[in-house]
Amino acid sequence: MEQEATDDTCLVEEALGGNQASFQLLVERYEQRIFNLIRHYTRNPVEIEDLAQETFLKAFRRLSSFQRQSSFYTWLYRIGVNTILDSLKRRGRSPVQAVEDLEAVPAASSASSPSPSATLEREEIARITQGVLEELPEIFRTVLVLREYEDMAYQDIADMLGISIGTVESRLFRARARFKERLLQKHPEFGNES
Amino acid sequence: MECQNARSMIPSYCDGELSEAQAGPLRQHLLDCQPCRGSAQDLKNLKRWFAASEAAAVPHGFAARVARRAMQGDTGELVAGEAVLRTGEEGGRLLHFVLACTAAAAGLMLMLAIGVRQLGLPQSPRISADPTKPSLERALQDLDRINRAEKAPHALPKKP
Repeated sequence: MEQEATDDTCLVEEALGGNQASFQLLVERYEQRIFNLIRHYTRNPVEIEDLAQETFLKAFRRLSSFQRQSSFYTWLYRIGVNTILDSLKRRGRSPVQAVEDLEAVPAASSASSPSPSATLEREEIARITQGVLEELPEIFRTVLVLREYEDMAYQDIADMLGISIGTVESRLFRARARFKERLLQKHPEFGNES
Repeated sequence: MECQNARSMIPSYCDGELSEAQAGPLRQHLLDCQPCRGSAQDLKNLKRWFAASEAAAVPHGFAARVARRAMQGDTGELVAGEAVLRTGEEGGRLLHFVLACTAAAAGLMLMLAIGVRQLGLPQSPRISADPTKPSLERALQDLDRINRAEKAPHALPKKP
């Protein structure tokens, strides 16, 4: 991991010096993770590629502002998340508007959380989860994606989104409540399991 | 540890955010308290829905293309522009559809209007817009009678 960070810093320096191959190596190193991240927001392959491309091009343009002491991936990731959120805004799905939804989120349901049935294939679970996530406001979707898929610590999520840890905790709590509610609405058959 | 405290710490505990000093007492509480243990299990069940799926497909040569565009000075805004353009294309397709529907509706209305007009017009060749025409012959006879009366003044009623 440390070796990777050192390599990243070297590659950044070389890319800043105009070395195309070095920047290509950086892209190759993180393209899969960026594509995976974007896929949580859109299933359209063309749109995924557009957003990934936009993320890397923005990163290149801002490469000189990259602070060497932080992880290149965290820095790149922040650009990716902001690019996605900007794109959602352009399409009229403003994450700012979604903040209002926070008040509308009901308290956590007393019903127990459904668990994916043992017979469900991994891809089927992913498809169901994706379908529910797509119906959540962006701010809820983003904290769930960062926490559950990217396994990010609360502090990293807070840094990335520019919010406090307390806000991350409360947003995550509400996001899970909303996820559970929507999951049971869309798939009541899972309500009897667990 | 009180249940209320324990419940508020369960999400952080399941997310691995607690220090051992915080997690230890909570773990003990969960061993002793079935309802709180149920809450923790509930969250674990929910987290199972977020199992990693297959990796997204990265198009062949993506990194090389992006690096080339970056070195050519593409700022990324062009891509955003393309996205807007794509949206514009979608809007254009919608506009074409709406225009086609409007044109079809207008054509239909025109045909309907012509049809209604045709139905509204008199169909018999004997019918005329001039109501005096059928009595023209009678009018001529009347005129003829008046002329004849003028030629024979005695036939006219005497003036008082």
